[in-house]
Amino acid sequence: MSYYGTNDYSYNSDFSLRVRDMKKGNLDLGWLEQARERVEVRPRDRRRGLEVSDCEVGPYAIDALEDVVRDNRGLAPRGAILPAGYQPDLGPDLNKRTDVWAYRVQRYWEEAVSRQWNVSTDVPWRDMDKYEIPLDIEIAFCQLCTLLAEVEMIATDLPAKWSHHMNSYFQEVKGFIATQCMDEARHTEVFRKRALAGGVGLLRASARSEHALKGILEADSYSEGSVFMHVLGEGFVLTLFRSSEFISPTPVEQRMFQLVMQDEARHVSYGLQHLKYLMDKAPEHRAQINMFLDEAEQLLTGLFNSEQLEAMIVLGGKGTSPECIRRGIEVVGAFQGKQILEYFQRCERAGLPERKERSPLLALQHQMLAALQAAAI
Amino acid sequence: MAFKFPSLDFFRELARRMNADRATFEKLGFCDTVMGVRVQGPTPHLYALTFEVFDCSDVREIGDAREAELDFTLEAPLELWRAMLESICEHGRPAPEYTLNSLSHLGNRMRVVYDDPEGHDKLYRFMATLQAYFDNARDLEIEWA
Repeated sequence: MSYYGTNDYSYNSDFSLRVRDMKKGNLDLGWLEQARERVEVRPRDRRRGLEVSDCEVGPYAIDALEDVVRDNRGLAPRGAILPAGYQPDLGPDLNKRTDVWAYRVQRYWEEAVSRQWNVSTDVPWRDMDKYEIPLDIEIAFCQLCTLLAEVEMIATDLPAKWSHHMNSYFQEVKGFIATQCMDEARHTEVFRKRALAGGVGLLRASARSEHALKGILEADSYSEGSVFMHVLGEGFVLTLFRSSEFISPTPVEQRMFQLVMQDEARHVSYGLQHLKYLMDKAPEHRAQINMFLDEAEQLLTGLFNSEQLEAMIVLGGKGTSPECIRRGIEVVGAFQGKQILEYFQRCERAGLPERKERSPLLALQHQMLAALQAAAI
Repeated sequence: MAFKFPSLDFFRELARRMNADRATFEKLGFCDTVMGVRVQGPTPHLYALTFEVFDCSDVREIGDAREAELDFTLEAPLELWRAMLESICEHGRPAPEYTLNSLSHLGNRMRVVYDDPEGHDKLYRFMATLQAYFDNARDLEIEWA
């Protein structure tokens, strides 16, 4: 159902008369008297320009805010005088700072803006003609690109879905996840372009992967969605990007993965710092987050569908001969082990050391690798 | 002029080149980390490289006791650092198997040492800048220790 405001300003005669009056020079100027106490804002470091954190002063600072925002339901920015009259209710349901905030979020926002890059011009596409890539390797690489394009779609949608739920006083978080939407859209772009640029194009999308990714969107709270996507999902994908740089067939793909890796690591850092903030300030959420992760960790294994694993094995071993396959299995096994290890380290750092004991990931991963090895021998 | 590796002069020369090439490093964006470079060998060395905004602002040799102050350390034997730098000198950039990521990812060739996963993630957040810093060795005359 559409929303209709209580006032139709275009036909409001009182307002129209007032505008005509103002145009005759009859101004009220009452708002001039509401001028606030002056603040001093200067760049702390001239090389960085005027940063978000430089503006954390007086009533504009996040620390000047109560932990729960009760007075602002609309678009008033933090520090502004709330509008007179009935403020429209935009329905923000993330009004507690612990719902969204992360340590150092201002810094992540600045870093994201500063480190933006351009798929069309920052990847050396022209160099692709310099290298010969065997067809089976190119096809495997395009299968990898297909999965990664799917993954990055959801990573665009998750922050976009939650942004308008966040109270507008949490501008830094909304700003940061807006940069994330741009990052992830760019990642979808780069994987799509790479698959097409080699002439093979996109290959099989995976229902299994998409079911896993759907779980991210279906989280009941932003914190659940964030911990699933930023810490678990993107942590795994960061290691996948590192591995993909490691097994890239040419310097063109290496450059591509260096660039996406940087964005992904920043998202992981934000997620880790949000989870840490939540655990520090609202430890009553621990049980809920743990129960959610119990399910999310099982779901995540859906990302490793058979086409994907096989493509990574072919890329890791650089071919499809038995010797290459054996080598590929070793490479994939090693990076999957690293994914899990680094995930547990991040959980511990964020204040959830118990994940290691209760996680189904280790056992599932062992089963998958054993099955793969049995199939290869 | 030849620069001995490993030495403070070598890393300071890379820093000088980085700070002189503002356009490249501004394009790559803010980089804020203090990383360690450990060169293992008969005479081991640990260098702390401070990156701030677009610059490498400080290079110093530190003792092991101060390693905890670093976000992360890249640790490898002298021979591996040499192979990486020779690859950069030969091709103008590292061959695929000699990028910082490739060397430190699998197989324990170059170890990434860290206490805090947040510090560890800075290696990946700033990978392109750190790689470009090392790639500054491309036309350096190096005298091996």
